[in-house]
Amino acid sequence: MEMKTCLSIGVVLGLAGLSPADDAKASYEVFELMTASSPSDSRSTEWKPGDGITMEVSGMEWIGDMLAVSIRKGEVWMVENPLSDKVAEISYRLFASGLHEPLGLDRDGKDLLVSQRAEITRLQDNDGDGVADAYLTECDGWNVSGNYHAYTYGPERDGDGNLWVTLNLGMGKLADNSVGWRGWGGIIGEDHRFVPKAFGMRSPSGLGMNREGDMFYSDQQGTWVPASPIYHLREGVFFGNQESLGTLENLEAPFQLSAVPEANLPYPEALASCAEFVPPAVWLPYNKMGRSTTDIQVIDEDGKFGPFDGQLLIGEFTNSAVSRVFLEKVGGEYQGACFPFLQGFPAAVVRLSFAPDGSLFVGMTNRGWSSLGNRSYGLSRVSYRGVNPFAIREMRARPDGFELKFTAPVDPDSLEGAFEMSSYTYLYSKSYGSDEIETKSHAITGVEVLDDGKSVRLVVEGCRPLYVHELRTDGILSADGRPLDFANAYYTLNRIPE
Amino acid sequence: MFSSAKKKFLSALVLSAATCLAEAAPHVVGYERFHSETPTAEGGAILFSELGCAGCHGGSATVVRRKGPRLIDLSQRIERDWLVDFLKNPESGRKGSTMPQLFHGVSDEELDAVVAYLGSIGKGIKYPADRHANAERGSALYHEKGCIACHAPTPDFRSPQGPGEALVPELAIAHPEFRKKTSLEALNHFLTSPGSYRPDGRMPHIQLDRQEALDIAAHLIDYQGSDPRELSGVTPWPKSSPELIEAGKVIVTKFNCASCHDLPGLTPGALMPLSGSSGDAGGHCLSSEPVAGIPHYDLTDTQRDSLKLFLSGERPEKDPDGKLTLAAMNCYACHDRDGIGGPTTETNAFFIGDESIGDSGRIPPPLTGIGHKLQADWMKSVFAGEEESRVRPYMKTQMPAYAAHAEVFTKWFQEMDAVSDAKEIVIRPDDIESGRKLLGIHGGTNCITCHNWGGQKSLGIPALDISNLDSRLQPGWFREYLLNPASYRPGTLMPPLWPGGQSMVPDVLEGDTERQIAAIWGFIKDGQGVPEGFPDRSGGQFELVPEDRPVIQRTFFEKTGTKAILVGFPGEIHLAYDGSRGRPSLVWRGRFFDAYDTWFTRAAPFENPLSDELYLFAEGGGDGRFLGYRIDEKGNPTFIKVEGDREITENYRVEEGTLIRTIRWEEGAPPAVVHPTGAEVKSETSGKTLTLTYSWK
Repeated sequence: MEMKTCLSIGVVLGLAGLSPADDAKASYEVFELMTASSPSDSRSTEWKPGDGITMEVSGMEWIGDMLAVSIRKGEVWMVENPLSDKVAEISYRLFASGLHEPLGLDRDGKDLLVSQRAEITRLQDNDGDGVADAYLTECDGWNVSGNYHAYTYGPERDGDGNLWVTLNLGMGKLADNSVGWRGWGGIIGEDHRFVPKAFGMRSPSGLGMNREGDMFYSDQQGTWVPASPIYHLREGVFFGNQESLGTLENLEAPFQLSAVPEANLPYPEALASCAEFVPPAVWLPYNKMGRSTTDIQVIDEDGKFGPFDGQLLIGEFTNSAVSRVFLEKVGGEYQGACFPFLQGFPAAVVRLSFAPDGSLFVGMTNRGWSSLGNRSYGLSRVSYRGVNPFAIREMRARPDGFELKFTAPVDPDSLEGAFEMSSYTYLYSKSYGSDEIETKSHAITGVEVLDDGKSVRLVVEGCRPLYVHELRTDGILSADGRPLDFANAYYTLNRIPE
Repeated sequence: MFSSAKKKFLSALVLSAATCLAEAAPHVVGYERFHSETPTAEGGAILFSELGCAGCHGGSATVVRRKGPRLIDLSQRIERDWLVDFLKNPESGRKGSTMPQLFHGVSDEELDAVVAYLGSIGKGIKYPADRHANAERGSALYHEKGCIACHAPTPDFRSPQGPGEALVPELAIAHPEFRKKTSLEALNHFLTSPGSYRPDGRMPHIQLDRQEALDIAAHLIDYQGSDPRELSGVTPWPKSSPELIEAGKVIVTKFNCASCHDLPGLTPGALMPLSGSSGDAGGHCLSSEPVAGIPHYDLTDTQRDSLKLFLSGERPEKDPDGKLTLAAMNCYACHDRDGIGGPTTETNAFFIGDESIGDSGRIPPPLTGIGHKLQADWMKSVFAGEEESRVRPYMKTQMPAYAAHAEVFTKWFQEMDAVSDAKEIVIRPDDIESGRKLLGIHGGTNCITCHNWGGQKSLGIPALDISNLDSRLQPGWFREYLLNPASYRPGTLMPPLWPGGQSMVPDVLEGDTERQIAAIWGFIKDGQGVPEGFPDRSGGQFELVPEDRPVIQRTFFEKTGTKAILVGFPGEIHLAYDGSRGRPSLVWRGRFFDAYDTWFTRAAPFENPLSDELYLFAEGGGDGRFLGYRIDEKGNPTFIKVEGDREITENYRVEEGTLIRTIRWEEGAPPAVVHPTGAEVKSETSGKTLTLTYSWK
């Protein structure tokens, strides 16, 4: 069951481009703690309950150097010695079982908080034998119709200590999104009841705060959601999915919409039709960045995970990958850019968590959908090898264009004719996803390397507020002759700074 | 494309106020949608076909030419009064009718003769005495089967996906006022076999069963009763003398009705040359004013100019890229081909199916390169409407049958889309077994995660059955599709499994993309096995058997609800506790349950006990707010709830064939309790503790 080979990703990795661990140029390496492999995983006809751990990771939380992992089967496992380089030295201990498809895990003092379909549950080990002996209702109060797609995600703590929970929309048989806070995100209230805060979500499978303590969530392309967005989650806003409009009839709805946003319009126009309707901080364009965003994890590791501190990592289900997001505040609201980052994981990436040593644990499960990874589940660790990658670290909006900051000095000669930009938006409609529409090319009329040698100013003609601005580069080299890890970046220009 | 139709509609409104001309114009949806803005030869070609011009003049621009309905058994199907009005002015019988005005300058007596002759044709229909009509069900079927691809939705209908927007009238084929035109039994009969009356396939066979047809007919004719036997049929026509009938036949022959309509015993007249004149003088079919003896169409200026453009230019023998036929037959209402057509913004919401498959689960597939995609025999069976050709059971919209034209359409698509340099698949016999691995989920490309395989459901979403692709698809297309699914169907959930032509599974067949695709094709063609990874559930591999300690599992449970906590005890007595109400729900004896669906499926269906020996708790007994449970050192659960404002706990354990329930409360009287059916109950109270012992014979 365990993959013992140590593989390196390098920031420079193509799909399936895993290179040997001794590749000195690779910036990141991957160690597979556990990967489903034929024939000993849960799909094997010989497999029976008790024969092995079906490591379909759905939540991760650290207790010192020990990793608690929730799995979709309904169990929480304690992974001891997870930072070891030897699979044989890593052990697994069952902590809790019998849960109903947990999809999130957090900690509160000595207790663990785990999501189940119908509630958030507090797990306690009162007698200290290492196994949970109390499964207490921490929070409930939403509709559970029996529809499979009505998932419960969280809890995830923000900078003020609020524990956020998000409620997936149901889809298909038994689905009823008009009652019980489907499509809402909210916090755990003092009386253990769900306190709704914001709505219009579809499949909010990822929650995570940034370094400033603000909460973000990811949604997935589908009905009303044209591509995968990352939103700043806070009270009183609407994220656009109209399937749960019916929930507003609940007397406890914390706010009403001033107007139902008009459909079948380009996104910028639709946004203008409703005051509470907010754009995502970042769009992750479909196919170009992936297809289904999952977890959000801030990098706050003092450089131990490379030169990207302060940025967000985003799990990607279908492409078995991890994307990177840079955010800045313009006019008081978050916006920013996304970049491809790590690719080639053995299964769909669903959960991300940093270990105390600054390595990234990547939890995976393919179940129910499909991913480029051909294993059904897995748990891997990604470590930074101290080799500075050559990447676009930041992309900032400027009044007349953009400013890029690379992770290393660039070769100015390689910049000539290296940039292309186009912008587009999406159709706001109840259809499942949207094509890119109203695409326009932009002339880049100025390229200037700033004094630090790492920053490049781009003067771009005719940037459009609320459109995604896609930057394509070709042939850019670092001063020491290395190519960029990924050529393209996608900036969601909600506002142009003054 | 769509916006132009919308604009057209607005200007038509303005026009109609002034002249009523556009109001009465013949209405051809494929023309209105794509060509109504400015005159084009292409638009003229569609009109030339759809207005029946080719009937008299020959040279249809579409693959199957437009004809009128078969004029048989009219006296049993059509109200005579409606027919008379229709013949005088087709527009009054059905808005937008493409039947020209013919009988201007014909006296009422002569028209009587025509009607008498038409009423005499046919062998008679015996309508079955159908019962149990349901217009409400009919409305649901009408709106989901695909009728609304061509016809307007009922104004007050609410689509399951939200309110349907009003269909732009220009894009909907108007219905006649059914009650004036026909009867429920006749409409029902028509819907079950439209091909018997409409041989040109413009109203295709939706393959309704009898009940469905009856319900839809009831909806259309607005019959809200349930027993149609109480209705009378079409008003009986008066008897006509043989002389009158014969006189009518002479007129019908003179007007060459047989050029468009199948009329037993009459043959179409000789083809008439086109006048060659593009002016409006003299009098011909394009004249703006009716001329006696010549068919008259109330054309819009754009329609007329389009026809002139078509007639004055070169007229290709066949429809070279399919655009004319697809517009004429309104295939574009459902299908995109080469970026043209597909549902409009307005109709989109009516296409429903399994949303978990994305738009592919509800929107009919594109026809781009369809003659290269499908094998000829399969395509024929699709057009013929054969049952086994329905491969998308999740899609509510029904592909209609075009049985009479199956050969012609198939040959036409196959020739039009033939790809001469398609790279073929070369199957190496030794590689075929690797197809099993590649299709499967143990180090393969995980096809069965999403796709059904014969009778076996996929492990995830129910994407279409791939066990018979070899009889559906052309191998060259299959190869190209696997290499880049999104190029054929943008937005498909199908991931590129060989991105950039590179295999994701380097350890199978040396990671050789071509060999891998060939192995998959070969394995499917071989038809001998099942992909790796379908769980074998026959042996109850996932049955939970409590041995030393109780087993607790939360799940959706058929007898309890969506917050069920199941407790399996050693000793074959088990409990289901309802967390949503804070009360026990069911006890059963025998085997516990099989956790497969709870643990490992995406669909999360409700579980059931593995036993028939069920003892439900009676209703009543006080609901409370469930606060969780604790597990004691022996593994027995103590459920906690708040009832009113006091906390109540109940511990369950099994000893010597009995279920022991120990209830504790903080203050006041003992809480109300109910017991499972059929149990012998021993009760013992001690202070704030109530111990109940349940046993069964």
